[in-house]
Amino acid sequence: MTAGGPMPVPGEKYDGEWLRVHPASPFVRGWVALAAIGYFFGRDTFERMLQGEPLVGGQIAGRAPWLLAGGALVLVLAVLGFILSWYFTRYQVAEGYVRVNTGFLFKQQRQARLDRVQAIDIVQPLLARIFGLAELKFEVADAGESAVRLAYLRMEDARQLRATILARASGVELEPGRPEAAAPEAPEQQVLQVPPSRLIGSLLLSEQSIFVVLGGVASVVLSAVTENSGFFLYLIPAALGLIAAYWSSFHKGYNFTAAVSPDGIRLRYGLLDTQAQTLPPGRIQALRVVQPPLWRIFGWYRMQVNVAGYGAAGSDGQGGSRTTLLPVGEIGDVVNMLALVLPDPGTADPLRVFQCGLDGLGSDGGFVTTPRRARFLAPLGWRRNGFAATDTALLMRSGRWWRQLVVVPHQRTQSMALHQGPLARRFRLADLVLHTTAGPVLPRVIQADAGTALALFDAQAARARAARKRQTSEHWLAQVTPLVSPVEPAPLVEPAEAGTLVETVDLDPHQPPKLASSPGEPGWRGDELDQRVSPRAPNATQQEGPQRG
Amino acid sequence: MHTAAIDPPGITWLRVSPKYVTVRLVEWALGNLVVLGVLSLPLLFVLLGWWTWPPRWLAVAVPAFMLVLALWRLVLIPRQVRAIGYAERDDDLLIRGGIFFQRVMVVPYGRMQYVDISVGPVERRLGLCTLKLHTASASTNASIPGLPAEEGARLREQLSARGEARLAGL
Repeated sequence: MTAGGPMPVPGEKYDGEWLRVHPASPFVRGWVALAAIGYFFGRDTFERMLQGEPLVGGQIAGRAPWLLAGGALVLVLAVLGFILSWYFTRYQVAEGYVRVNTGFLFKQQRQARLDRVQAIDIVQPLLARIFGLAELKFEVADAGESAVRLAYLRMEDARQLRATILARASGVELEPGRPEAAAPEAPEQQVLQVPPSRLIGSLLLSEQSIFVVLGGVASVVLSAVTENSGFFLYLIPAALGLIAAYWSSFHKGYNFTAAVSPDGIRLRYGLLDTQAQTLPPGRIQALRVVQPPLWRIFGWYRMQVNVAGYGAAGSDGQGGSRTTLLPVGEIGDVVNMLALVLPDPGTADPLRVFQCGLDGLGSDGGFVTTPRRARFLAPLGWRRNGFAATDTALLMRSGRWWRQLVVVPHQRTQSMALHQGPLARRFRLADLVLHTTAGPVLPRVIQADAGTALALFDAQAARARAARKRQTSEHWLAQVTPLVSPVEPAPLVEPAEAGTLVETVDLDPHQPPKLASSPGEPGWRGDELDQRVSPRAPNATQQEGPQRG
Repeated sequence: MHTAAIDPPGITWLRVSPKYVTVRLVEWALGNLVVLGVLSLPLLFVLLGWWTWPPRWLAVAVPAFMLVLALWRLVLIPRQVRAIGYAERDDDLLIRGGIFFQRVMVVPYGRMQYVDISVGPVERRLGLCTLKLHTASASTNASIPGLPAEEGARLREQLSARGEARLAGL
């Protein structure tokens, strides 16, 4: 494991010196190519061995040395290429930038500003995990491709580097004399964990299960009616696809934990490949909470986010899991995560407002719905479609069956548009679309009264402007944004277990100013949650403990 | 000048150049002539007796329907061009467009990432340009077509200056 040299001494590393990734990384990355070469040249020999024939066939016996030489040459070239690519890949963290140089024929130099970081992921594919290596992905706002990928570092190096980058990006003042010293990792506190039983349950009750049941019933009926068992044959590829989909969801959601640290929200998940995402404060552009119809039985919700660096879901094959903030959770988990994303809910009674957004109807909680005259346009949804604006965010809810609540913080609004088609004009309605960065969340106020929508359009522009003026710095510690304090009352966070506080570092420059605890201010006061939430989900708060223990 | 129900009150819209109608007409002609030509081929073949399958009424009805649709769009073009408007407010730019499907968009200056100006061949002949605003969101599809070249340049400079003054993060 420690083949890369001496252990890093905190404070000695990352002070502007150029470093290389772990020497084994090209082999971990390119093991498929090596395996292919081995397979290509080894298969024939192996087959002959099994059949008891001489190792080299008669007709090619004369050419065997050439073939061997060719194979060896390919192997040597591949290994040489690996070594060269490793040798010429170097990275540096200094002066507010992270720089990576790659390539020996076509050189590429990349640099990204640390304070523009949108997210940092540490990814461990299975093979890398076996070797104790990890890949570090540094995301800036370019919707898709990672700005900087360092594959692979030793796990503790990756964590150290992440801590350093996040500390620099947050604008924390380390030891004044040595501005380039490495930062200690910020302490973190676990907020929630998704037990595997709940994950399996959520998959069984998910949308695709409905299609499985429908498809199975349809094929049974069809084969019974037509007396042709051939229909079952068509089910085989469908079943394989579904198993793959279920497996992928299970694999990505397995052991999902969320923790909070001064560096941001930290999500960890994965069965074979593990991933640890860090979303610094204020990097979440939009958020949605959805509830498929069958999840209503257990009161489960799913949360997804738009983050500028992650791009649209599925753009790189794993966007779907990276944009998931909570694969399945109960109302208590949802409120906990909301409190992390939106530390200041901007209303006096956030639990009621958000509860109404999740499953309310009509004007409860200050929501403005589609006017009654338009009930023929949306016979089911007109009492559900609605919006509510708090001081810090706009809440948009929709969907009677597939319930959805979209939350967009005011300072994250990019631009807005009012839309009105001919039918909507007859009913004096309008849609308000909020533009946000690419991702699974598409904020839209559906079928609001035209006058209301226009008023919201103006008010929202003003609110976004005011919110932007408050937020001036990319360094999040410089902003007066409380982050950790909303969780500190922590009635929902289960009592401290071993490992809840992952690390306690004495030198703790990360600890943000505790601001939100002042009693008069609106905040997520957890003590109300028990009363508010309990009628619907009686054991929401104590759910996790016994299952996990 | 028509004001629609969803336009914010008290806004004086700046309109794009009426010459932009010509650009739209050329685009219309190019697009529809190709479509109409292709759709008329079966009619021609049926009339010549090469083909037997599409009955004559169908061979006539399809291109005729497309022709009516195209003419309808043609009639709308001048009104559509007149409906395009923009207004510079203190902190944001308003852009409106559309007659049937109306849209009013607000783009805060501080949110603009960059501004670009594009000029097509027909636009160049008429001295027009298209200005496009980009924010961090791909769905901000904010473009103002048919601006006179000097107005486009002025607007670009103005927007850049204001964007720099009010620059906000993401």
